[in-house]
Amino acid sequence: MKRRKLDLAQVPANIGKGVDDRFQAATPLRGLLNKVFPDHWSFLLGEIALFSFVVLLLSGVFLTLFFDPSMREVAYDGPYTALRGTEMSAAYASSLHLSFEVRGGLFMRQMHHWAALLFMASIVIHMARVFFTGAFRKPREANWTIGVILFLLGFFAGFTGYSLPDDGLSGTGLRIASAIMLSIPVIGTWLSAAVFGGEYPGELIIGRFYIAHVLLIPGGLLALIAAHLGIVFKQKHTQWPGPMRTNDNVVGERMFPRYALKQGGFFMAVFGTIALMAGLFQINPIWLFGPYRAAEVSSASQPDWYVMFMDGLVRLMPAWQIDIPIGDGYVIPPLFWPAVVGLGALFTLPMLYPSMEARRLKDHKSHHILQRPRDAPERTGVGAMAFTFFMVATISGANDVIADKFHISLNAMTWAGRIGLILLPPLAYYISVRICLGLQQHDREVLAHGVETGIIRRLPNGKFEEVHQPLGPVDDHGHPLPLDYAGWVVPKKMNRLGALAPAVKGFFFPVEKPVEAPVSPAVPPVSGPGTREEITSGR
Amino acid sequence: MTSDTPAGRRFRVFTRRRSAPSRARRRIGAAVRMLAALALAGGVYTAFAPGAFAEDDRQLSTAAQEGKALFDNSCITCHGRNAEGVEGRGPSLIGVGSASVEFQVGTGRMPMTRQEAQAEQKRPVFDETQTKQLGQYIQELGGGPEIPAGSLTKDVESDPEALSNGGELFRLNCSQCHGFGGAGGALSSGKFAPSLHDPTAEQIYGAMLTGPQNMPVFGDNELTPSEKQDIITYISLQLQEDTDPGGLFDLGGYGPSTEGLAIFVVGITLLVFAALWIAGKS
Amino acid sequence: MTVTHGGSHGTSTGTEPVDVNDPKLSRFDIVREGARRDDIEIVTYESQFDGQNSKAEKRIVRNIALLFLVSGLFALAFVVAFIVWPWRAELGRSMGDYFTPVLGITLGLSLFLLGIAILAWAKKLLPHEVSIQDRHNQPSSDDDRLITGQTMVYMVDELGVQRRPLLKGAIALGLAPLGVAAAAPLIGGLIENPHKGDEPMMYHTGFDPVSNNGQLVRLTRQDGSPVRPDDVSVGGQITVFPGIPHGATNEHADSPTLLVHLRADDAERTRSAAEGDEVNKGGMWGNYVAYSKICTHAGCPASLYEQQTNRLLCPCHQSQFLITDNARPIFGPASRRLPMLPLEVDEEGFFVARSDFREAVGPDFWERP
Repeated sequence: MKRRKLDLAQVPANIGKGVDDRFQAATPLRGLLNKVFPDHWSFLLGEIALFSFVVLLLSGVFLTLFFDPSMREVAYDGPYTALRGTEMSAAYASSLHLSFEVRGGLFMRQMHHWAALLFMASIVIHMARVFFTGAFRKPREANWTIGVILFLLGFFAGFTGYSLPDDGLSGTGLRIASAIMLSIPVIGTWLSAAVFGGEYPGELIIGRFYIAHVLLIPGGLLALIAAHLGIVFKQKHTQWPGPMRTNDNVVGERMFPRYALKQGGFFMAVFGTIALMAGLFQINPIWLFGPYRAAEVSSASQPDWYVMFMDGLVRLMPAWQIDIPIGDGYVIPPLFWPAVVGLGALFTLPMLYPSMEARRLKDHKSHHILQRPRDAPERTGVGAMAFTFFMVATISGANDVIADKFHISLNAMTWAGRIGLILLPPLAYYISVRICLGLQQHDREVLAHGVETGIIRRLPNGKFEEVHQPLGPVDDHGHPLPLDYAGWVVPKKMNRLGALAPAVKGFFFPVEKPVEAPVSPAVPPVSGPGTREEITSGR
Repeated sequence: MTSDTPAGRRFRVFTRRRSAPSRARRRIGAAVRMLAALALAGGVYTAFAPGAFAEDDRQLSTAAQEGKALFDNSCITCHGRNAEGVEGRGPSLIGVGSASVEFQVGTGRMPMTRQEAQAEQKRPVFDETQTKQLGQYIQELGGGPEIPAGSLTKDVESDPEALSNGGELFRLNCSQCHGFGGAGGALSSGKFAPSLHDPTAEQIYGAMLTGPQNMPVFGDNELTPSEKQDIITYISLQLQEDTDPGGLFDLGGYGPSTEGLAIFVVGITLLVFAALWIAGKS
Repeated sequence: MTVTHGGSHGTSTGTEPVDVNDPKLSRFDIVREGARRDDIEIVTYESQFDGQNSKAEKRIVRNIALLFLVSGLFALAFVVAFIVWPWRAELGRSMGDYFTPVLGITLGLSLFLLGIAILAWAKKLLPHEVSIQDRHNQPSSDDDRLITGQTMVYMVDELGVQRRPLLKGAIALGLAPLGVAAAAPLIGGLIENPHKGDEPMMYHTGFDPVSNNGQLVRLTRQDGSPVRPDDVSVGGQITVFPGIPHGATNEHADSPTLLVHLRADDAERTRSAAEGDEVNKGGMWGNYVAYSKICTHAGCPASLYEQQTNRLLCPCHQSQFLITDNARPIFGPASRRLPMLPLEVDEEGFFVARSDFREAVGPDFWERP
């Protein structure tokens, strides 16, 4: 039998055929790949979190190859002279080993830490985007809740990771964590004893945090991220209002070829940003903090930024201790309110917000079209309020550094934070609602009267008025017919007429040529410049 | 902790233990010491009390006389005649020693421009010689701690434990106020612990010895001169001169607060601009 | 999903199914038909350039190619630096201090430029596209809802739990213990009684004579050497630990104490405040006073001693304690004063703790009496 010649061009087709014979993949794969994604910069913020999570996994696996999660006491014997001979835990010694004796180890550690900060930062701004555009509304409440839980998991992943090197800063954080557990009424001491395996700090906590940090929490994160993306895929992405866009369709680009390529490029950009920051900015120089000793502390001992709001709330809390005079007497320390109740509320309230809003507005329809912040002033106000609260708390978490560097009294900073925490959020609500209404009002005016041209005309009766360029059809007198409010960008300048969005080309400077001279649309078209006579003084 | 200082301390311990006196003898000894101290204090008072003796009777060295001239010009308003202090304006300088003068004047904290929560560091008014002369004057006036002559840092080549011992002591005694990286830190109501990146070894030594402003005093019994030198060695080699291995910028060494700022100002900003570019109309 | 939908979004032009085996069709036609079968209408799909090989296109292609090449160069630089750059950081300024920055800059720029190259490719070279996909967000049909609902009820029905109450009870009684059994090892293994023993950990530090064979515990430095009164200068402070084995380690994390030598007038005020207090009475020795270094708020060392204002500041949450008034909290979130360690000097002239702290040391908790 003559052997058939191998046709190279047919190989991919044959493989594809073989795969489909076995898995019947062609039909579902087509459906999977044929997916339209709307294109807007704000839809890319969540991706930053996703990509930094990938970097976290990659760099984290590298770190585990060298880290020893043990609290056994050893005497340091490495190349870092300023700690040589010092007694420390094996965990800290291995972190130093990783930083000084592994080629590129310090770089990987710094990448891991910066990626963690970026992960949390992008989660927060992604959450803000989803909130302010109303993307959390039905049918996406579940995905919003998953997002909030992802932030919570990231919070704990970050805190456990912060604790692992067992340096001075880690230990201080652990000490505060133990104090927070102790502050819980009734079960506090039992909880702390259970977590630390007896008296603080014990010998177990690093090992326990290690397994939580490398297995339990990342497992949860991975599962929830998969669910988060799966739901986005199933429900399809929300989109801004605009021409052709309805509640029942998605207008944008198919996943292939363009969208996926952009995602790949963006991943590289995120990865590159993390690597750049890891090389340029030193983060957490554990060798300067020294091994954790209960008697030692550094000024400006703070948690990483995403825990700082809690630390700030703890700092601002007045010393209100509740004594319960039963039996020997019981105590609810002031630490309990900001650290346990406050943290709980800050995570539960966002989870409940979608149902609260739906109930208040009696809105039970599905929404796939986003709202601009100005079109939902009250929601924007609530968001501004929450954001202001978070900001005041976070800034207060660093109030000692601010007080020191800007020569402000530390006590004054604390008082400013206390007052600001109460006064500023309502103020932010009021101001943002007013701004939203004003912006909306202006959009409506443009739709009703047309674009302001800046041309002032004098009427025969001596009155002056501004000429408006109509956006749509005009009536018999040349007055524009009012247009419906669509909740989308309204052209505000004449040279943008008819554009879908502010379509200024170019990134840093406009490529578009500006319109040479404004033409009043209310008068009949002016003839070409050739026929125009130059206005002279008549001499 | 194998440095020689604790051993020396232990040695003293043993000599004391061997000659532990009886309770009664200790009491008598204490009474005698008390009387002696009172007599000495009285003597010192009589010696320095204004008007008791004519000023010119005191033997001042040439340097001290120069210093006195400077003092009478610039310091007398607050610290009074013969450095006895003025109620509500400036403390007495009797017994503060030349270490204190050299720190306060050498770092520009004195003379103060105005009364405030804490004297600020600024460009020194007096040059090095004048500072020494002032110090000499105060020293001869009332005695007190002096900064020893000679090198205040140790050579880590010949004494490799100086650096790690200094680090250990720094973290126990200094970092709570001055920060892990010596960047300084806030104290209550507008007071602060200054940055340790600029001061010289003499200034750090003087500060430890005399406890300026709200800084606690670290006398020679709390930190032996050798331990002080270890700390200064750590500060100068590790915190002032060492290049950070972790990046071109150390973000001030303030810990997580500036790191958090950096992730937004650099990371998020860069990526949001990238996102704007990606989704922008091409 | 082989059924062809069409026209549901109102913009599609034809509803006629296309035969994808038609050899006349171009590849794009097949792709477009595939998209149509998934309810995607490709509204516009146009090249960004006029005609093939336009000047603008060539320029962009050149730029993108350059970006790829530069990215590759930086990647190469990364590898070379990784191998040949001296990487051990040394004290002072050395080449090794720049190893991490060099790695970061080369790898970062390589990746970032690669990203820009890919993005520019997608943005500038690929055809501009607007597609519309039907969302299909209608709920399942009423029939399907009914069938699924009935199937589930049917399943429960067939099990007959409702009709067989004995089973119901047996399940509850049988499974509940099993659930507890699953949780028991986890919870049981973790639980530690914080109040067990004669020296419950919450009320007991290394200064308790009980752990020192009944002898009073000396105050020692970190290296274990005991402290004499004249070791602490006026206006000075020293961190002391219990003079027992491992007294200065984290085994006794609640024990670190701050021994302060006050100026005479401050000491007088401190003494009169302490004497007026039931617990702290007689706790001072001469002008010396010792307070727990562990903040009563969250457990950080409250050790920022301001010798002129006599305050102790905690660097974690800025609680401030007034030394001259029994270390009462005067600012910040701490609600409880720092416990005082009663001092004495033994026959050999060293400081000892007259007893353990008389109040619970460290952060506050529920059961504290």
